[in-house]
Amino acid sequence: MKKNHSLISKIKRHDKLDLVVNVIVFILAIINLFPFYYLLTSSVKSSAAIFKMPPDWWPKTFETKNYLDLFTGQPAFRWAANSFLVSIITTIMVVICASMAAYAVSKLDFPGRNAIYMIFIGALMIPKEIFIIPLFQIVTKFHLTDTYAGMILPNVAATFGVFLLKGFFDTVPDAIRESGKLDGAGEMTVFTRLVLPIVKPGIGALFILNFVNIWNDYLWQMLIARSKSMMTLMVGTASIMQEISPNFGYKMAGAAVASVPMLIIFICFQRYFTSGITMGAVKE
Amino acid sequence: MKSTQKNPRLRATLTGYGFVAPQLIFFAVFTIYPIFEGIRLSLFRSTAVENTFVGLENYINLFQDPVFVKSVLNTLFLVVVITVGNLILGLIISLAIFDKKNGYVSFVRSTFYLPVIVSTVVMAMVWKFLLNPANGLVNWYLTKASGKSINLLGNPNTVLWVIAFVTIVASVGTSIIMYVASMNGISTEMLEAAKVDGASKLKVCTKIVVPLVKPTTLYLSVTTIISILKLFVIIQLLSDGGPNNSSMTMMYYLYRNAFSYNKMYVASAVGVIMFVLAVLIALPQFISMNRKGGK
Repeated sequence: MKKNHSLISKIKRHDKLDLVVNVIVFILAIINLFPFYYLLTSSVKSSAAIFKMPPDWWPKTFETKNYLDLFTGQPAFRWAANSFLVSIITTIMVVICASMAAYAVSKLDFPGRNAIYMIFIGALMIPKEIFIIPLFQIVTKFHLTDTYAGMILPNVAATFGVFLLKGFFDTVPDAIRESGKLDGAGEMTVFTRLVLPIVKPGIGALFILNFVNIWNDYLWQMLIARSKSMMTLMVGTASIMQEISPNFGYKMAGAAVASVPMLIIFICFQRYFTSGITMGAVKE
Repeated sequence: MKSTQKNPRLRATLTGYGFVAPQLIFFAVFTIYPIFEGIRLSLFRSTAVENTFVGLENYINLFQDPVFVKSVLNTLFLVVVITVGNLILGLIISLAIFDKKNGYVSFVRSTFYLPVIVSTVVMAMVWKFLLNPANGLVNWYLTKASGKSINLLGNPNTVLWVIAFVTIVASVGTSIIMYVASMNGISTEMLEAAKVDGASKLKVCTKIVVPLVKPTTLYLSVTTIISILKLFVIIQLLSDGGPNNSSMTMMYYLYRNAFSYNKMYVASAVGVIMFVLAVLIALPQFISMNRKGGK
């Protein structure tokens, strides 16, 4: 890759087009940050300042009122806790189910293995939103509306993790499994003690990606949450957004609270994002 | 003896199924069953008092409903505009940056990926704020510049373009990550040959890089189209399908019928149509994934 860089930089030393395009890309990248800047600065403006046009590009005063209103007037802490609980439990269950299934389709030999894997892959591209009605009816039948279980369980069915992790398991040499078997270890021991530690990067990528996906999920959580206290952060802040009030400062405070946790996760685990997203698709 | 011969085979089978069982059970209950149940529901007319088999009547009624026809056309419009916009923008940005220093690449990549990370809910909220007629920054500037009152979200001619724009901004980051990763995998020999020929970067890009990242383009087209099919939150928060159904999509039509009008059978029929569409769109990707995944 390093060599690659120096090579092309030689080719295009005098490439004006490349320079112009990059300047535009850089400007676009900066413009892209503006909505977030505007979101954050608006969230600390008073309700009078929010109506000022053109706006103060840098807030004249920093008001915490919007945030105080959010956390006192709405159960925002509860929403954040709900988001965290739903995301973390779903993700743990996904990691357990997907890693076991991926191990089976990658390393174990049993009739129907390829058929099962094909069905899993086939379902990858079918968004669950399309079958939201039967899904909702199942959850209603089990009396799981307005519960954490109702939000969590349907998302464990997603097979992306099986696909992602199978790629990692395929790279583990069979000799490792066989050496464990010779020592008399059972399949479960071989799996948890010998193989799983090797595919840690895959587990990490799946964990982060799935956590963020569930945290940012909206439609399903909105349908399941009947009471205000069962809303997640996304559903709660979107419900504030749909209030008629034009006090966008308050609404932007909600948006800020909903996005900051993911920003922190992204900054800390950037590497896993890139590897997880690209692993899932094209392998050269 | 017979049992000793059969035993290891049986054991292996049981172990294998034991390992896939947890995933398979969730998958059967929350994916396979809903697909069949959705198809079944779409063939019935179910109200509080009756539940009668009507065959394809729900589908026939759908295509006689001008709102549904409009939602299909709107979905098609969004599929074309967003997919083309997302891929072209993603490709151009990636081509511009992929051969630059790591710090610059990751800066550009991260800024474009930011909207994906903070979720479409937050993106929709910010843009609703920027575009609202009372104190939206964009509307204020446009009104000031044109001298007449402009409300992009309230105008049937512009609302779909706004939705397409916001969706592209909210999703192009994924395309950039995919493209840059794919471009970094291109072998140096190819580029070396181009260097010997004294090729410009434009030529290197169009003749070598773009053809080589074709699998990524295919993958991204499929995933983008499918994500547009299920587009929901941007529509709900920005326009609520309006004004006058001019931003109604199939997904939103499905949602409205199911949860506002309580016509589950109508919504189920829409779901089945969308399922067939998703399968058809995903088929080429499915085939290429299997070629790679199968041993």
